[in-house]
Amino acid sequence: MTGSIANGIGLRAAGRIVMKRAIFGALAALTLIATPVAAETVKLELWARKDTSGPLRAENVVKAGARLNAALKAEGSDQQVEVAVRESPAPGFDDDALQLLRVFGIGQGPDMFVAAHEWICAFQKEGFALKLDAYIAKYPSLFDKIIPSLWDSTKCRGGRYAIPQDAEARMFFYNKKLLRKAGYDDAFIEALPKRAMSGDLTMDDLLDIAKQVVDKGGAKYGILHRPSIGPDYIMVFQAYGNSFVDPDTGKLLLERKKLAAAYGWIERGVKMGVIPANNTSMEWDTIKAEFYKNNDVAFWMYGIWDLGSAAFPTFGVPSDEASFSKDWGWIACPPVEKGGKPTSLTHPIVYAVAAGTKNPDLAVRLLGYASSEDLNTDHAVSTTHLGIRSDQADDPRYQKAWSLAKASELLPITKFLPNNPQFGDLNRIIYSAIQGVESGKLTGQGAADFVIDQAKSSLDNIIIE
Amino acid sequence: MALAHELSIERSGAKARRRQWTNFAVFLGPAILLTIVFFIIPVIIDIIVSFTDMGRSLRVTEFSTRQYQRILAGDRGLTAAVGITFVYVLGTLALFNISFGLVLALLTTSIGRASGAFFRAVWLLPRMSPSVLYILLWIWVINPSKFGLLNQVLMTVFGLSRPLDPLTDAPMTLIIIANGFIGASLGMVIFTSAIRGIPEHLFHAARVDGAGGLSIIRHITLPALRWPISFVTIFQTLALMVSFEYILLLTKGGPFNATTVYALYVYRRAFEGGQYAYGAALALFLIVLGIIVALLGWRFFDMQRLLQRPRIEVQ
Repeated sequence: MTGSIANGIGLRAAGRIVMKRAIFGALAALTLIATPVAAETVKLELWARKDTSGPLRAENVVKAGARLNAALKAEGSDQQVEVAVRESPAPGFDDDALQLLRVFGIGQGPDMFVAAHEWICAFQKEGFALKLDAYIAKYPSLFDKIIPSLWDSTKCRGGRYAIPQDAEARMFFYNKKLLRKAGYDDAFIEALPKRAMSGDLTMDDLLDIAKQVVDKGGAKYGILHRPSIGPDYIMVFQAYGNSFVDPDTGKLLLERKKLAAAYGWIERGVKMGVIPANNTSMEWDTIKAEFYKNNDVAFWMYGIWDLGSAAFPTFGVPSDEASFSKDWGWIACPPVEKGGKPTSLTHPIVYAVAAGTKNPDLAVRLLGYASSEDLNTDHAVSTTHLGIRSDQADDPRYQKAWSLAKASELLPITKFLPNNPQFGDLNRIIYSAIQGVESGKLTGQGAADFVIDQAKSSLDNIIIE
Repeated sequence: MALAHELSIERSGAKARRRQWTNFAVFLGPAILLTIVFFIIPVIIDIIVSFTDMGRSLRVTEFSTRQYQRILAGDRGLTAAVGITFVYVLGTLALFNISFGLVLALLTTSIGRASGAFFRAVWLLPRMSPSVLYILLWIWVINPSKFGLLNQVLMTVFGLSRPLDPLTDAPMTLIIIANGFIGASLGMVIFTSAIRGIPEHLFHAARVDGAGGLSIIRHITLPALRWPISFVTIFQTLALMVSFEYILLLTKGGPFNATTVYALYVYRRAFEGGQYAYGAALALFLIVLGIIVALLGWRFFDMQRLLQRPRIEVQ
């Protein structure tokens, strides 16, 4: 009896709930029919380092937002994107990558980010970078013009985890005025680039020329390099056969003899009075002013973008080809022995998509539009970076930028830094040993031993030969 | 009646206890809270992190003693950093924080009050300047070209032919001087107040007895400064062991780690290399090292006796 009453009450209650749901459902349906379809705004955040040598890396993504929105509208999609840029104040790409890894680690990561290519595998290893192969294949019109070899710089474990944003070439700039003052004739000076490319000029020849410029040309410095951790000086190591990565396993590779040979070149440079002992404690501005303005440096090891970022706008170096070439030039990193192969280094900056983004498709398409020919050319010509697309060569603005065309001649001999998650850490050790050699605390061999010792104690999975 | 009296005693007892607790909370509470939040909790966090594998993404996947094994297996950089720290702390302490601080205190108390105060204020300027500004001035002074202030003086006044580059050639001396100019002021202030606390009649009596200036310093001033000297030595040793901001700004720990002290080495490994767990284990060693140094100093200077209440009260 009690049970049947309880059942009766239960049935009535259930009936009321069903009724309420039906009314709610009907109201919701009516509301949907009555109101017009509202566009859904998807917010996409880009992490980009505040970098004077590439302000358009972020701006182009913002501009691409309008293009993507137009495409979405044309497709009849109710989605629209809104791009926000989170600027990082990090002084270099290494610091920036470490900062971003922490940001991802605490779950505050952006949807997309700008990074130096050698860091991409560190993001991939931690699970923060999205594998892009399927998306790139899905939108061929956005990506098919990107130069195929540049995709290699975005690969980790066979997959593509980023989109190339720019490329460059690194070289030894030289001051022709000083070489002339040191007694070299124009024929010799003008032949240097070709001699470096053909393998006729060697690394030790470079030291000898720099020495003569210091001794007879009155230059304060023979050769200067960057005063911070970075890619350029890796060219010297590559010239001496250090690839830093084992092609079979992808693990970091340290070859004692080749390392000692590269550090030996730096040691000889210091002993000859060509490379200053305090190069690593000099200020960036001082170095550039000494080279471009004060005419006190024979060779400056850096990259092509320095012309557009510093030489032309800041130090008044003439930007037209004829005037520039009269007093300035550049050569590839020469081979070690006559007849050997010269090298250059390109260090692509890449766009990547966060693995945790809620809108991977939109993010990839947005970056695809940001890689459009015109937008990328804006970046290339305004900051003297090399383009990433084959169709940029036809752009009149690109053709007019003579330094890009000339620097592109180095592309056949250009190498990348290894895409290994630990390369950033190894580079820190390599730089520290350069400091040791230049300050006279290490010999070339001692520096090689130091690098191997330090790498053994702080890195995993390294191969030592 | 008796009951009412007992109740009143109990009430006043409860009141006193309450007052005691209130006083405790008001006067000691903030200090205890600050100690817990800024000292105890960070040490606990440091200990926990040191037993993890926290890397550059701040994620923890395992708890282990791997970081300690790495330290014990031998870290060449660490051994070098310990030696550099020893030279740096000893050099700064001996040359500036104690000796130079003492000289400044003796000199500024031996001249007129106003001029003494003026020179003390001048020597307090490095401590009052923001660290970045202070180091920027140093960088201008030691600029290795002929335009640096030091080189201008040396080349024009002393006829030096080539400009000096202390940043490359004498980085340790440089960081000792740069830190010493700041550290000397603390000693100077404490020693000055201690010298001022010495009854003046003792100096007059010594003069009457024919004591010279050096004799007065040796037999009257220095014995009275035993406690402040001990305190400044222990305090500054611990402060120097853990501070590195001026070194980081001036030499960046270089050239080639020549000025990478222990604390800077920890910072480098943790924040520049992203090896947070290893950095935490190294930092724990530094904390232990600090405790050992403090205890040794306590024992060496017999601080227990110095901290005792005076047995005789002079009215």
